[in-house]
Amino acid sequence: MLPADCSRRLVAELRGALDACAERQRQLERSLRVSRRLLRAWEPAATPAAEPTLGPEAKGEHLSPACTPSSQDLKELELLTQALEKAARVRKGISKAGGDKAPVPKSGSTVTPVTTTPSHLQAPGQADGRVSETSPPRGICQTKAPTKGHPERRLLSSEDRISWGRGARATRPGPGLRDQQTAPPAAQQAPEAFTLKEKGTLLQLPMAFRKAASQNSRLWAQISSTQTSDSADATTTAKTQFLQKMQTASGPHGPGLSAAEVEAELGRLQEACSLLRLRMEEEVAAAPVDWKQELRCLFTLEGLQALAGQCLCRLQELRAAVAEQQLGPWPVGGSRSTLSPCGAGADPARGPRLLLYSSTQELQTLVALRLQVAMLTQQIHLEKVLMAELLPLVHTQGRWGPRELSLCRAVHSLLCDAGERFPTVLQDEPTG
Amino acid sequence: MGRQRRRVDRAAGAGSGTLPEAIAALSRALPCGPSPETFRRAKFDRPEAAPALWQLLFRVLSPVSEAGATAPPAPEAQARLVKAALRSEGYPRPALAQLPEDGSRGSRELLLALSWLLARRPLLERLLARTRVRLGDEVAVCECEDLAFGRANTGLPALGLGSELHVDIRHVQWLMGKLRFQWRNLVSTQQEQCALLSKIHLYTWGCHSDQSLGHLSATETEVLRDPEGSQQLLQVLEQENAHLAATVEWRRRELVFWQWMDTVLDTCPQQAPDAGSQPVFLPKIPDHRAGQWELVAGEMQALEEELRAAAEPRRAAWEAQVRGQSRDPAWSSALRALQETVGQELAALRWAWDQGRDPAQPHGLYRLVRSEPGAPAGRGLQAAEVIGALRSKEACLEAALRQLQGQCRRELARLMGALPGFVWISSPVR
Repeated sequence: MLPADCSRRLVAELRGALDACAERQRQLERSLRVSRRLLRAWEPAATPAAEPTLGPEAKGEHLSPACTPSSQDLKELELLTQALEKAARVRKGISKAGGDKAPVPKSGSTVTPVTTTPSHLQAPGQADGRVSETSPPRGICQTKAPTKGHPERRLLSSEDRISWGRGARATRPGPGLRDQQTAPPAAQQAPEAFTLKEKGTLLQLPMAFRKAASQNSRLWAQISSTQTSDSADATTTAKTQFLQKMQTASGPHGPGLSAAEVEAELGRLQEACSLLRLRMEEEVAAAPVDWKQELRCLFTLEGLQALAGQCLCRLQELRAAVAEQQLGPWPVGGSRSTLSPCGAGADPARGPRLLLYSSTQELQTLVALRLQVAMLTQQIHLEKVLMAELLPLVHTQGRWGPRELSLCRAVHSLLCDAGERFPTVLQDEPTG
Repeated sequence: MGRQRRRVDRAAGAGSGTLPEAIAALSRALPCGPSPETFRRAKFDRPEAAPALWQLLFRVLSPVSEAGATAPPAPEAQARLVKAALRSEGYPRPALAQLPEDGSRGSRELLLALSWLLARRPLLERLLARTRVRLGDEVAVCECEDLAFGRANTGLPALGLGSELHVDIRHVQWLMGKLRFQWRNLVSTQQEQCALLSKIHLYTWGCHSDQSLGHLSATETEVLRDPEGSQQLLQVLEQENAHLAATVEWRRRELVFWQWMDTVLDTCPQQAPDAGSQPVFLPKIPDHRAGQWELVAGEMQALEEELRAAAEPRRAAWEAQVRGQSRDPAWSSALRALQETVGQELAALRWAWDQGRDPAQPHGLYRLVRSEPGAPAGRGLQAAEVIGALRSKEACLEAALRQLQGQCRRELARLMGALPGFVWISSPVR
């Protein structure tokens, strides 16, 4: 058993690490749920015109009057559907014969979210789907497969729109209803739901949204420009004067250090430690060839020693300052408040910053490396903590019985192999 | 009275507008900003202005996770947090600490505190940035978030540990194993998410109104999938726009506000400097940071010892060598030159950690955009560059970890090797 305070610290540290990991996992799973849902067939959500999700049973009674198809309309629709089927077949024949260099359809500004096509045209769509699934996920290649279907779709939908008149503006799920109306004999086919794969390129964000988004980026750009131009004008001087006045009006307490600044400096000193150590290892490992190199090595080591001494002094100064100012710890752990942001917050308005990737592979590599770096940072921190807690224990062992030995084995495996391997201890029985 | 003030201010702040307009802009720009009337009352230390200002400061100072909470805690808890946070920030005036925590008084002091925060940093911009609506699929390129993650969690007191005062080393091993497993889980989940995002970007190619982006992000696609659910997003976006516009206006007009704050400061009664009698308001929380100080101090001391142990024998050897030699000018100038070079190298080393992060390295959140490999550069950061930087960082970290592990290995082997009667076979080094 480990002593109480040691246990407490170790467990607290490890639990903290586990919680941080769990938090990341939670956030990730939230985004994953969203993405998965987006890639499935989209359920017919309510049309903007109000009704909640409508079931497959003909809820014709609830249709708004503008959408009620008359029998005349239905007949026309039937004819049109047949005509379109024929057109699709013909076109498919043509496109198979000719080359299939269909360009990626750049949806112009006039294409609104497309209406669903009649159900029997799903077959070509499915074929396309299969083709695109088998082709390897490479940048442009994949778009070629679905585009075979797209020119057809586009044409069909525009024709749909013409004949269906005012109802055509409805978003894709709405007409799912109409399909049931027009094809009741054809067995209860589920309304063709929207899939991103087939019709993703025809989406367009609603106008209100686009306006708000562009205004948003414009305003952020404005803010960043006012920030940078803020160098030495009347406002800045007024502010500095005010701050100085506040300082002097408060009495003899020295210039306040904020907890965030102290923590930042602590971090820097930690960094200093590792850099100094690295350099020392380099110097000690190097074998000097001539007197110049020897001397250089000597000077470097002495210089490093001086720097280490300075850092230690600074450390003690900071500690004293914290104690004097009674800078308590940040009230709710962590420095993730407004006032000490990371790079992301410090300059939030620096334009739309883009990270360009060209393939799924690349993106996955990038993200995997990020996680690896984060994990290594955590591991190094934990290693230091474990070293500080466990090595003294091993040093202070009195007798060496089996329990102490197993403790030693455990400590060795934790510290030297991150718990993955164990050393072996053999009892050396004296013979005879 | 108002007109007089306006005339005075107009003369004073040429072009920066009037005080009421500045205060109105400020109140619109702040989240849950108090009305302009509150500001005016606060100048005269009216008690009715105090609660609003306490609430505002609480909103501003609480960490990210709490800022969005719908139910604010009791006024006493708010006041305590505000005081602690300001003290932590280094707020110079002791009068704040002496305010009663029921939120009934102190509006002028709170107004001063708010202005102090506003003056030190671009507070409004940061407040907006932390709740900024992210329309794209954002990815963090630096590790600052990681450190914040780590520190945020280790700062919390270990709960429920009262019952487990002593743990066995096996519990520690178990926790480490669990951590390893969780990381692996995380990696695979992350890979899946990337594959899905990549598909979404591909399928929505060409339909973004902003040509430089080219495709929709998951958030934007979600807007299309669920128009009702995204009404909220639209509202938040518009609210943010309103705040942003108010901030821009505030920036234009703020000079006159600072001039007014000078007068507010003047109306405060002079503080009698009470040296030494600063009562402690918070109970001494066992500071986790104390552990960190010890770690760093210990490391630094150990390092200094090692450096001394390495340098002294070399110095002694050198002195012995040099004793017989004559001091000719060529010799001493060579010596000086060498000293200078070494001095410069060490200065560069010092600069490396003093400056903190490397400004050339990318930081913060970036929006993921899929593009052709041959696309013109300058649009944004290329993934290949980031990958390169990350790989070198990874190599550095791995080397550091190996070094630490090697240190432990040597020490333990030395210890165990000295024990009689046992044979210690260390695990193979990878």
